Amino acid sequence: MPRIERNATVTWEGNVARGTGLISAGTGAFGELPYSLPVRIGAGNEGKTSPEELLAAAHAGCFAMGLAGELTKRGTPPGRLEVGCRVTMDEVEGKGHQIVHSTLDAVASVDGIDDAGFDEAAQVADQECPFSALIRASAGVTINAKLEGGR
Amino acid sequence: MAAERSAEVTWQGSLMEGSGTIDQVGSRAFGPLDVSWAARSEEEDGGKTSPEELIAAAHAACFSMALSHGLAQAGNAPEQLKTSATVTFVPGTGITKIALTVRGRVPGLDEEAFRHAAEEAKEGCPVSQALAGVGEITLDASLA
Repeated sequence: MPRIERNATVTWEGNVARGTGLISAGTGAFGELPYSLPVRIGAGNEGKTSPEELLAAAHAGCFAMGLAGELTKRGTPPGRLEVGCRVTMDEVEGKGHQIVHSTLDAVASVDGIDDAGFDEAAQVADQECPFSALIRASAGVTINAKLEGGR
Repeated sequence: MAAERSAEVTWQGSLMEGSGTIDQVGSRAFGPLDVSWAARSEEEDGGKTSPEELIAAAHAACFSMALSHGLAQAGNAPEQLKTSATVTFVPGTGITKIALTVRGRVPGLDEEAFRHAAEEAKEGCPVSQALAGVGEITLDASLA
């Protein structure tokens, strides 16, 4: 099996309360995205990302590919999958800030599969998504997957 | 207070031949970004991101913030931290390793104290905790 390496870099300046950082992807797909503590934990985060938002993007991407793979394996490749992910960080007594939950909402358009078969494929996709497996050890994962527009 | 962060992805077609887009994230800070299985699982990245790269970005960002916090609490706020995270993904197995490297410019601090603070940030940051199931998380920390 190939070992795939993916890299990202961050430059941070200053203390945590008033400092800021810049996040860049090794592939160049995104670069110098600014982030800071107020943006990470506060409500007004327009235009600025955070570790949890990057994890939400990772989890949605991971699950979408897992589901496409599983549906293809069953002979019913998807027409279209729409996957949303919400990652929640909260303060946990005695542990400080923790990532406590990730919720995936998927709407799929797939020909030739019934609801039961689709639900099963979604369960397998969740089990096989490396990120789901990792965060289940310490956080809750909820999958809401719905079949729509198939025949 | 709980903080919620979100992202939306659209995928079309089979895993091998299809492709997807990270359409947008809640903050609108980036996107749309293309993703595909080929870009995720082959050596040539070709400018496309992947779940593993996003995890690397999340981990590097979380670690840097936790380290700045630890250093400042001990009275030595950093001038600059440069952190790199490399995530190793083995298709069929999962994420097997994350390597963190940090170089810090911290006035008034010696190497050993910096390495100790970095070790604590590696153990304590929320993303490290969430990814504690990764078999191997390494840290290479020194002053710049």
